[in-house]
Amino acid sequence: MTTTPTTQTAAPLPRVRVRDLPVEQQRAIRARQLRRAGTYAVAIAVALWILLPIWLIGTLAFSAPADVRAYPKQAAPIPFSTETMEFFLNAEGVLPATRNSIVVAGLTLLLSTAISAPAGYAIARYFFRGRDAYRLSILAVRAFPIVILAVPLAVTFRTVGIYDEVYSVALMHTALTLPTTILVVSSVFASVPRELEEAAKVFGCNAVEAFWRVVLPLALPGVAASAIFTFVMSWNEVFAAVVLTLENRTLPALILYNLDKSGDPFKFAGGFFMLVPSLIFIFFVRRYLFNMWGQITK
Amino acid sequence: MKFRNMNWAPYLLLLPSFVYLILFFGWPMVQALGLAFRRDSQILPLRAEPAVEEAAVTGELERGTTVEVLDVEVFETQRAGGLLTDRVFWLEVSGTDPEGETITGWVLRGQVFVADASRSNEGAVRANSVTLRAEPAQSAEAVAELPRGTEVDILEWGKTENRIAADGLLQKPQNWLLVSGETAEGEAVEGWVERAPIFVEDATISATGRVQAGEGSKEWTLDYVKRMVRDAKFSQSLRTTVILILLILPVQFVLAIIMALVLQSQIKFSSLFLYIYAIPLGISDLAAGLVWYTIFTQSGYLNSLLQSLGLIDRPFIFISSANKEWIILAIVLAEIWRATSIVMVIVVSGLQAIPRDYLEAGELFGASLWQRLRHIILPLLKPSLQVALILRTILAFQVFAVVVAISGGDVITVLANEAYRWYDIGAYNNKNVAAAYSGFIMLLSLGVAVFYLRAVRTQEEREAAG
Amino acid sequence: MAEIRIENAVKTFGKVVAVNQVSLTVHDQEFVVLLGPSGCGKTTLLRTVAGLGMVDSGRIMIGDRDVTYLPPKDRNISMVFQGYAIFPHMNVFDNIAFGLKMKRAPKEEIARRVREAAELLHIEEFLERFPSQLSGGQRQRVAVARAIAVHSGVLLMDEPLSNLDALLRLRMRAELKRLLNEIKATTIYVTHDQIEALSMGDRIAVMRNGEILQFDTPTRVYDVPADRFVAGFIGTPPMNFLEGQIRRENGTPCVMIGDFALAPIPEMHEELLKRDGRSIIVGIRAENMETLSEPAPDALRVQVLVVEPLGSQNLLTIQIGEDVIKASTHPDFPVAPNQDVWIRFPGDKIRWIDRETGRTIVPDLEKLVSAP
Repeated sequence: MTTTPTTQTAAPLPRVRVRDLPVEQQRAIRARQLRRAGTYAVAIAVALWILLPIWLIGTLAFSAPADVRAYPKQAAPIPFSTETMEFFLNAEGVLPATRNSIVVAGLTLLLSTAISAPAGYAIARYFFRGRDAYRLSILAVRAFPIVILAVPLAVTFRTVGIYDEVYSVALMHTALTLPTTILVVSSVFASVPRELEEAAKVFGCNAVEAFWRVVLPLALPGVAASAIFTFVMSWNEVFAAVVLTLENRTLPALILYNLDKSGDPFKFAGGFFMLVPSLIFIFFVRRYLFNMWGQITK
Repeated sequence: MKFRNMNWAPYLLLLPSFVYLILFFGWPMVQALGLAFRRDSQILPLRAEPAVEEAAVTGELERGTTVEVLDVEVFETQRAGGLLTDRVFWLEVSGTDPEGETITGWVLRGQVFVADASRSNEGAVRANSVTLRAEPAQSAEAVAELPRGTEVDILEWGKTENRIAADGLLQKPQNWLLVSGETAEGEAVEGWVERAPIFVEDATISATGRVQAGEGSKEWTLDYVKRMVRDAKFSQSLRTTVILILLILPVQFVLAIIMALVLQSQIKFSSLFLYIYAIPLGISDLAAGLVWYTIFTQSGYLNSLLQSLGLIDRPFIFISSANKEWIILAIVLAEIWRATSIVMVIVVSGLQAIPRDYLEAGELFGASLWQRLRHIILPLLKPSLQVALILRTILAFQVFAVVVAISGGDVITVLANEAYRWYDIGAYNNKNVAAAYSGFIMLLSLGVAVFYLRAVRTQEEREAAG
Repeated sequence: MAEIRIENAVKTFGKVVAVNQVSLTVHDQEFVVLLGPSGCGKTTLLRTVAGLGMVDSGRIMIGDRDVTYLPPKDRNISMVFQGYAIFPHMNVFDNIAFGLKMKRAPKEEIARRVREAAELLHIEEFLERFPSQLSGGQRQRVAVARAIAVHSGVLLMDEPLSNLDALLRLRMRAELKRLLNEIKATTIYVTHDQIEALSMGDRIAVMRNGEILQFDTPTRVYDVPADRFVAGFIGTPPMNFLEGQIRRENGTPCVMIGDFALAPIPEMHEELLKRDGRSIIVGIRAENMETLSEPAPDALRVQVLVVEPLGSQNLLTIQIGEDVIKASTHPDFPVAPNQDVWIRFPGDKIRWIDRETGRTIVPDLEKLVSAP
């Protein structure tokens, strides 16, 4: 018994109006629409909660000093003025401190990535005795309060003679970011299928070549994202920086130290100026952040 | 053979990180404990007589104490081998000890930082003989030789740069002096000589100084801990820190779960929301504090808003010692604003690990959103939440810059702020108590972590027992 | 000469012995299949030949070179991986060219060979594309193209068809077989699919628990399986097993299945008499039993439980005493469930399996295992 399917052009389906449907279905559809609207509302509300304060401090950063001190404050930078920012940037020590921050963050990025890359690869690819213990201790170390490291390190740096140097802050920051970076990099390497490396080895590569030609290109985005995040963490770090520096302060240390002496324009411009790199960098690495932090919790 | 090589590879790769972590985590940890619990060179004993080994101790001064210099005595000793003669200075000083009494006694020159000691222009040769040269360099032509004891006038002080010597080794900068004196033959000569073999008289020693070194006994002591606890700000900062944690954390977790659910639901522009929600991850606590300062400060946005709404006619002073609750609120809001994203990211990854099937089955069998949340999502999220809780609590004990940015750190203070204040040169300059605070924070963090882990474990045991 | 010789290979992982004293010789240009269930050690064995895991003891020779401890790149081999392992960050051309590039072949040579391989696999139009733009089947072809472009004498394949859907697998099987015939490489092919093995191999090594149970041509493995496991593993449906009792009657053995007496062929008499009084396993394939709709003196009466009309045959599920077996008949054979049919067991098709050892009792047993 066979049935031949009839193919004929179907007439267009009539548009159904919601209120023509039975009441139960109406209610279900409305409920779904309401839920969707509710989700959008919540999403937007939270987004505004995050963005509004940034907008406010940005407004002040780009208003004239008079407007900055004014009361009530205006909600938008009209008239637009770069005077406050200029004042901040030209204030004593700000540009050198910014340069210091950049150098420290850059050094931290390089050092942290250079040390964590091999460690991450080792964890990802090799099964060796002590692997679990090492991973566990990395996790534990991550939870260390920075406070307990900063003070004795400052003392040690003083004794050794490298206190108040840019590179000593970088050393400290590297230590702080190292655990996170190692865990992230190891998960990035682990996500490159082992088979790819094996294929490379079968078709003529030794271990180093296989890493260079196959693993590294595929791991690069993730490692780069982690490096950028390290940069941001170093740029933001306050406590250790303020404890470890005197003359060669980083930007956060400088701002913190001068808080009680500085006026509002300085504070607002400074706060905004510190925010901006984060805004930019987070944009580039946002996708990877979830992989990064997610992996760490495993 | 080959196997040996293979097995070493991971350890070699791990080595740099391992070494680094020991150096910068293990070692400072040990140091911190030492600082907090061992009496170190913080106390300088004053002696009844100078240069006498067993002289009685007249009293003790703390490091950093300002002292008056009353008298100077010089003692000459010969160093081993008779090559150099040392002049040792003892100073009689007087200062106020921690209990408030004025004590007087003798100390070594090096133990007190003496300001304003100017360099004199008289000196004497204290090596067996020195060679004067035409230029301040070892390779320069020799001009003359001066024997031990020759008195010289110092005409100029010079310093060489870092340079590579003939043997390829780096030579550190050296001090050179341009001196003039008389040779044994009575000839007046002038030339450059290294600083070291010349003894330089100090023209003046100023009248005030500061104790800069002591003689640590290295014994275990709880003095610093006691000092920390007895301080009025200790209980205040501890209480404030705990209150902040209790206020901030629950709100953060609820908000983080909401944000994570929003990101997981398939609404349009979800990648835009992802970016926005992730922004606070890159914001430092200092910047966050300043941001919320703009809102809560007297001429800030909150007042502006209230005024324009007509609710108030004069700006309300949120940040003042009379309005501690408002300061706490500002700090709480700032921390929630800044740090919720951290928790959110962990929750998102936990959510992604929940297979869709479970949620679809729940929906199929009639569970509402709230029921699905309660019975399926939250239980499966528990491990992630646990990790997030531990991490966030430990970070919360270290809250520092937000507090300073909003209120300056005086009216309201937290533990980390106290650690900073005790360390700061301007204030107490007592690194030992600062270390004690650090250790205390560490202890609390550990305690919390252990507590959480235990609490969850007993819960599981209870559940397993049925 | 690219003969592959594995001598007494042993590979353990902790306490687990994955490969247990395996010896195997693959002749030059021969196509050998390693067949077995998951965990039998076939992939592990393949990887030791590839150099992706060193043997703990034993020797591996390729040609006349001892390659036991050489890294993969020095063994002059090619491999197709189960997950294809084509590099996502290179286009198809660069993927296929990879092995040649590592050998520092001149550019024109590389281009020529890549094109050649691509044409053989019918993927010439994809050379500029990236793996993410290809389907699973296309990616598999790239993996094969990469392996043959190198022109090494040895080709290793680790379940290359298992990730394809059923229809595609069927097509690729035939295509691969034709292709590999042309290529003339010594090939070791790993699979758990016995149909693939039977269809493609010159010889099949059936493995279980790290050992080779039988190494023989497909026909022999099918017709004369070395033991009960091989007999039950090969063939669709697998061989039927019945329990029989050996009895002596007038100096000749006969085997009782219930009340039914089987008359074994004379060649088996000696072995069966040795086991007089004991039970024995009677193995016979579904298609080798004669099914009659009328009673016959030398046929056993049985009841049909299920009839599966498979198009090319009818597969009957039959109950004999406690056992349930399958019989295959012509599609037009008239039968319905719960009907009775009569089964005849041709003596030359019966495989006698010793109950204790599980080995097939064949007078020249040694011929079955590890053909040199």
